[in-house]
Order: sequence, then C-alpha cells, then structure tokens
Amino acid sequence: MAFIEVHDLVKEYKVNIRNKGLIGSIKSLLIPEYTMKSAVDGINFTIEEGETVGFIGPNGAGKSTTVKMLTGILVPTSGSITIGGLSPYKDRKLNTAKLGVVFGQRSQLWWDLPVIDTFDLLKYIYKIPENIHKSNIEHFSEILGLDEFIKQPVRQLSLGQRMRAEIAASLLHNPEIIFFDEPTIGLDVVAKEKIREFVKFINKERNTTMLFTTHDMVDIEKTCDRMIIIDHGKKIYDGTVEEIKDTYGGNRILSVEFGQNYENILMSGLELIEEKGNKKHFKFAKDDFQVSYLIQKLSQQYEILDITVQEPEIDGIIREIYQGGIKLNESLSGVC
Amino acid sequence: MRVYLEFAKKSFQNSIVYRMDYFAGVINAIVMILVNIYIWKAIYEEEAAIEGVQFKIIVTYIIISFLMQMVYMMDEYFIENKVRSGLISMDMLKPIHFRWYVFSYNIGTVVFRLLLQFTPAIIVSIFLFNLLGPFSVLYFSYFLLSAVLGYLVLYNLNFIVWISSFWFYWTFSLVTIKDAAVMILSGAMIPLWFMPEWLVDFIKLTPFDAIFYIPIRVYLGMVPEQEILSALFRQVMWIFILFLIGQLLWKAATKKLVVQGG
Repeated sequence: MAFIEVHDLVKEYKVNIRNKGLIGSIKSLLIPEYTMKSAVDGINFTIEEGETVGFIGPNGAGKSTTVKMLTGILVPTSGSITIGGLSPYKDRKLNTAKLGVVFGQRSQLWWDLPVIDTFDLLKYIYKIPENIHKSNIEHFSEILGLDEFIKQPVRQLSLGQRMRAEIAASLLHNPEIIFFDEPTIGLDVVAKEKIREFVKFINKERNTTMLFTTHDMVDIEKTCDRMIIIDHGKKIYDGTVEEIKDTYGGNRILSVEFGQNYENILMSGLELIEEKGNKKHFKFAKDDFQVSYLIQKLSQQYEILDITVQEPEIDGIIREIYQGGIKLNESLSGVC
Repeated sequence: MRVYLEFAKKSFQNSIVYRMDYFAGVINAIVMILVNIYIWKAIYEEEAAIEGVQFKIIVTYIIISFLMQMVYMMDEYFIENKVRSGLISMDMLKPIHFRWYVFSYNIGTVVFRLLLQFTPAIIVSIFLFNLLGPFSVLYFSYFLLSAVLGYLVLYNLNFIVWISSFWFYWTFSLVTIKDAAVMILSGAMIPLWFMPEWLVDFIKLTPFDAIFYIPIRVYLGMVPEQEILSALFRQVMWIFILFLIGQLLWKAATKKLVVQGG
C-alpha cells in the first residue's frame, strides 16, 4: 500500500448565486439561491514515501481544494484518502502531528514576537523533545541563515527572511509529509533558489514526502520528481516534467546577431519569428536539424556577430496545455 | 496542558509590544471613573442618599466597575480576523484544541492587564477618588471568586458572538450590540437598583447581571451572607449554559469549515 492513496476524490461546493442589479441583490438577500459546483471531480493518485510531487493547474482548477482535503481541513463529498493508513479528516488531530504546512500567503509565525518565540511555542504544540528541537533549530539556522534575524519580531522581517523562518517552523517536528502552497510567491530569484535548495536537501536527508502547489514551473522543475496537472477538477497529466518537455518542447529558438542587416534570409529548417534590426530570432525543430549544421550553414553565407540557442520553456508549454493549444498525446505514459 | 500555559505566556508577551495601547487603557479607565463620579455628584447634589445608598458607596461602585471593565477587556476580533484571513485553517492544522487556545490567549491578556494596568489604576483610585475598602476580609474573598466567575460569564458570552463570525464574517455590529447590552444590563454603568422593577425582573432572566453586578455588590457587602452562595451558583450556572451554547456553535462552525471550506 502506498503512503498516500487517493480514490475517486470528489468535492462539491454549494455556491450562492447573486442576481445582478439592486433588485437582484435584495432578492438574493431574502431568498438565497444555490447551485452545486464541483471543484474536484474524481481524482485518483498514489504517492510513495519520500516522493516530491508538484500539483499544477490554472487558478480555480481544484489544486487547493485537493490539498485542503489531503491535510484534513476539508471533507470530501465522496471518495477516499488515506495517508499512512489514516484518514486525514477523521483522524485530524492524530494526522496533524505528522504533517507540516507552508503557505506562501499565510503565516504561522506570531507577528509581533521574535521568530525564536514561535519556534519555542512549536516545541510545546508538537511536544518535540528538547534535544531534537535544539538540533533542528541549529541545523536549519546554519543552512537557511536564520541567525541574523531569529531574534527580530516577524513583522520586521523581509518576505524572504519570513519564508525561510516559515519553512524552518514547519519542519521543526520532523513531519513525515509537508505541503507547500506557493512557497516562493513574491520572492526574489536568490531567495527562491535558497528555498528550493533547502527543500531538496531536506527531502534527501530525511526522506520526507513533499507536495507542492505552485504556479512557478521552475519550482517544479528543480524540486519535484513528478508533476500532476489538474484542470477543471480532473487530473490530466501525472508524470515527469522531462517527458512533457521532451515531447512538446521539440522546438528551439536560435537568436542570431548579424554583422549587417540582411533581408530575406532563407534557409531550410529555419523559420523567422521575430526581427529587430540586425538581430533575428528563428525557430527550428531540434529533431530535424542539428544546431551545428545550421550555424555552419549560416556562417558560410552571412557575417555573424553573436549566436545563442534557447531551450524550450516549460512555462510556455504549460500555458499551451492550459489554453488547449496542446492536446496531451495518448502515447505519453503520464496522460490520464 | 503545558502548551496552553505557553500560549498564555506568549499572549502576555504580545500585549507588552503595544505600549501605547497599554497607557491608553489606564488613562481611559481613570477618565471614565472621573466623568462618572462627576455625573453622580450632580445627581447627589441635594441628597445625602438615593434609594438608601450614600454617595461614597456609589463612587466605590463606579471605581470597581470600571477597573473590572478594564481588566476584562478582550480582543473581540481575534477569531473574526482568523476566519476572514483564512488563518483559522493554520490553527486547525495544529494538534491543539482551538477553544483552549483562544481561552489561554485571553488569560495571558488578563494577567497582563492585572499586573500592568490594574495596579497603577487602583493606586490612583485609592488616593484620588477615596475608594472604600471591601466590606470584610471574608466578603473580599467572595468578591475575588465572584469576579473570576464574572469574567468567565463574559468570556463565554463573548465567545458566542465571536464564533458567529464563521457565518457573518463581519461581527462589528453584533459586537457593538453586545457591548451596549452588557454596559446597560450588567449594571456596569448604572447600578441595577436604580432601574425600573420590570427591567430588573427581565435582567434576572439573563446572564448579564452575573458579569459585574453580582461581584460589585459582594464587594460592597450588599449581598446578605445567606444569599452569597446562591448568587455564586447563578454565575456558575450561566458559565455552564453559555459554555454549552458556545460548544454547540463551535461544533457547527468546524463542520461548516470542513464542508464549505470556510
């Protein structure tokens, strides 16, 4: 039996319908009308211990609802969830002791008190043995550089510092599973990188199961072995990031800066997509043409100052999938 | 249990952060006492006693009442803020009992107010306003017990209002109505013996007089000894009833949270 098992998970919400206009508002106030909207519509998956899984999907796709049900603060309309043999909502108290949560937009730190005070409180909340608590704080301080601000009130911290403190706080009790909900939202590149590295390190070191929801594909690429795409409450993909990239990221962009402004550069395999004076961008299929061949051909005919090749961006591919531009191919192992 | 003691300690620490609020609380209590004493002075101008009560008794009533109100002040939007910001789910994801957590948070605040606000305010009151001492040592210990019970009645009443934020999201008007009701019906502003009889009969059916009126009258020695136990019992009964209502609402609120997602 897998560590996390989810079967036919369904969640329906009662949604209040408001009529438009003044009369409509008053009518809605007196006679409320409701419809049922399904946020999650029959999702299945299993996750093994120590796996890192990223949930992605457009806003309103049902990711957060799924995660909320996994943490036990939301009861499914139907279907079942077990985490380590327990039901997250029926055994909520028991379950919460084993899990950690990091919400990018919600803080669990005491706003007016120094970070260390919240750490202290968590020791009592989770009944963490003194020696583990102490060694964890030392360990995390070292890697995340908490020392410089651990004695400052949380409200005075920068967002990057606060997130580092949040993540340390949610790991103090050595949880078996951690939920990250947009952990890097609003952070600068350096802070993002620091957090990703730390998360990866903890996963390796402690074999902690980790679940992410994020809109940042770099988060997923760098930290997750596996990606689950959810859209309209249904799972549409469950597999590796690489597979999607290899299948749909077949095009490369070749950017060339020419010595002079050539008109109508024609070469088989290269498709002009953008030009700015001497600088031109071409698209080519990497499986049909070798880069070295294209460069050689170009340099024989034209004077070239600079040349760069761009990788496919996973962001672009995912955007295409959301917008329906890419229909996931049945032959992919992860397609549902 | 240890964790709730820690919550109270952290809440105490948290209160210290807002120094301005702390000074304002003390000054507010002293100004309110002063204003009310002058109002009663005007009323008592011609009379030595009204309804058989001397002026100096009324002054002591007012002082005790406003000092108690200062100590009993609670953060009325603690739960509402958590519900509206969604932080409530962070608390639900901790292996703690939320009700005990909220209670210990409030206890931390009370201890803070007792030590740092009540102490200077009572010293000022003794010297500036001639506060009368308690009726007797025995009555003073009854008063302390009754004041603790009064706090618990108010706390459990407040909790019912706070928990309604799960349904209403904004509880400002509800809190205002509750405050007004407490102010008038609990005898916090005007001793209930000045109220018309029909109103007092009505108040006797509510928990309000169990908050301030009973403890203050015990302090003043106005409750005959054989009636003290039944007065205290009345307070205990209301704590119990209000707690049960709060518990039912809390169960319904958590159910709403886990079904509707807050």
